[in-house]
Amino acid sequence: MMYLLEKKKINTELSAWAKDYEVITPQKVENYTQFLPFDESSTLELTNPHNTRYPPKALFFPQTETMLTYNSRLGRFEETQVRDEPRIIFGIRPCDASAFALMDTVFLSEDYTDPYWKTKRESAIVVGLGCNNPPQTCFCTTVGGGPFNHEGLDALLTDHGEFFFVQVLTEKGRALFEDLPLASEEQVNEIKKIQKKASDKMAPAFETKGLKQKLDIIFESSYWEKIAESCLGCGICTFLCPTCFCFDIVDEVQRKKRIRNWDTCMFRIYSQEASGHNPRPSNRERTRQRLMHKYSYWLDQIGEIGCTGCGRCVRYCPVGLDIRAMLRIASQQESEVIHA
Amino acid sequence: MAELVSELRTQIERLLADQSIDVFIAFKKADSPLRPQPAFFRSGDALTDLEYNSLCQNNLGNYLTRYPNETRIGMVVRGCESRTVNALLVEKQHIRENLTLIGVPCHGIVDIKKIIEHYGEEITGYSENQTDITIILQGKEHTLPREELLHDSCLRCLHPNPVNADILIGDPLPEGDPSLVRKKVDSFEALSRDDRYNWFKQEAERCIRCYACREACPMCYCTECFVDFNQPRWTESSISPAGTHAWHIIRAFHQAGRCTSCGACERACPVDIKMTYLTDKLNEDILEIYNFETGMNDETQPPFAAFNMDDKKRFVA
Repeated sequence: MMYLLEKKKINTELSAWAKDYEVITPQKVENYTQFLPFDESSTLELTNPHNTRYPPKALFFPQTETMLTYNSRLGRFEETQVRDEPRIIFGIRPCDASAFALMDTVFLSEDYTDPYWKTKRESAIVVGLGCNNPPQTCFCTTVGGGPFNHEGLDALLTDHGEFFFVQVLTEKGRALFEDLPLASEEQVNEIKKIQKKASDKMAPAFETKGLKQKLDIIFESSYWEKIAESCLGCGICTFLCPTCFCFDIVDEVQRKKRIRNWDTCMFRIYSQEASGHNPRPSNRERTRQRLMHKYSYWLDQIGEIGCTGCGRCVRYCPVGLDIRAMLRIASQQESEVIHA
Repeated sequence: MAELVSELRTQIERLLADQSIDVFIAFKKADSPLRPQPAFFRSGDALTDLEYNSLCQNNLGNYLTRYPNETRIGMVVRGCESRTVNALLVEKQHIRENLTLIGVPCHGIVDIKKIIEHYGEEITGYSENQTDITIILQGKEHTLPREELLHDSCLRCLHPNPVNADILIGDPLPEGDPSLVRKKVDSFEALSRDDRYNWFKQEAERCIRCYACREACPMCYCTECFVDFNQPRWTESSISPAGTHAWHIIRAFHQAGRCTSCGACERACPVDIKMTYLTDKLNEDILEIYNFETGMNDETQPPFAAFNMDDKKRFVA
């Protein structure tokens, strides 16, 4: 079943939701886009061919988050009240929504549940917007996703003409859209064609079959030195990545707060040990870690690739490094290099 | 431009063939025509990939500090890069004898963010001449004047010509107009104190602490940056105002008399933070007070690194 959401009524709809929910939508900031709370003054950005530059993982896993506050008057630590007001995240791309599902395996695992992630995640309704024209920098289909993938979503919109066509995927999603008119069978077929066309347009960026084994074998290869040679060692690829989840806990003593901040394996201090030793002393080891984590270690841990092909690391790398090219070259490494 | 690349290739080939260098640092073609990458050539064979055009966004001087002094490095340098190399030589980051610099007078770096803003990302072809940029989008050619797409730092570039090239390819260009820099600094200074602070806040507080500005900057080569110290900690590592303000102010101050206005910091920033309004002001001050411009030669110490018994201010003695 598919519902029809008229584009010209979108602001009315979002404003109506905003009475009961905090509504979060992609919006323009300077020359980029980011998910921000919607109000009447907001400028929606739903026509960008790809996802927002700033990753929506920040909605559940903010870059800086207070974990505890020290109450010096009472001499005790106080837990932070994690926000649990209901939220609607509207217009998220399928790659980013499926990243939520991957992040769940980290933050909602059987061994350890992260209350900060869990509370925000569970109180959110996630409405996706499929990608009619995926740009060259995207590669979701290569890593098992797709421009109209359902993973992590409560409803999925397809942009067509005057309407967004809404597929409801969960009960939470249904509750939002069930009052809207239904699409005709003809329209539904047309939407399916649009979806298929978008997906067919995306040629595989690299071969994933056997890639993990290949990466494991070339761990000591000089290949890593070569690909890391131009890497600046900044945090763009990992901070903008929708599946990178590392954080660093610090005590801001003056502010009496224990805070966690995003951290990244691309930084020297990430792996710097108290002794002075650093097991990942150069960009070679750090770049290797980033690729191996996504394309080998995630597979060891949960049997899935830890990358959704969102393309951010490709689009925003200041030296033009492209993870797809890196992986292609990795899989072409000859065994002579491996044993070198 | 094709001629330039071919002459560059010939020169690099020669340097590699007669073994007068160990590595040549330049740019190479990548999958996307918009994103040539820094490249490290050690043999002539790889030079088929050599690229040089106005999309080469990075300041290659950045890579100089990665090599020991013994490494004989060849490098292609534009105006700002050549002054960067000088500034690094002044700070003893390499030995001039072990550098071979191929200079190219620079028509300015085209900001890919501006191209994408105009045309999106699906660009399949790119070409340029001295005045225009042509891109191919869905099989169609689009031409725009170069000036509209140049990076902001390049629009007010003072010294487009390399100052220390061993080999120069192309004809020297006229020097830039200092009033353009002054105009920008003046317009910021004309704001009220509150407005200046609000501007600074608005820029700095978008920061995501990825340190791409630091890593893209050739002059930020400290093994341990002040933000990475934790015993003692100098500043918060979070994205709080306290943390982001401290980072942006101190980063800029560490550049006083050292910044060559290449703009690599702004081009690298993933959240479009403007930073050169701070360093341009510092450069103006350094010029006015100390009559010093960064990197014009490879001997003169920047004012804040120099020690002089005749110093006008007697704070030393």
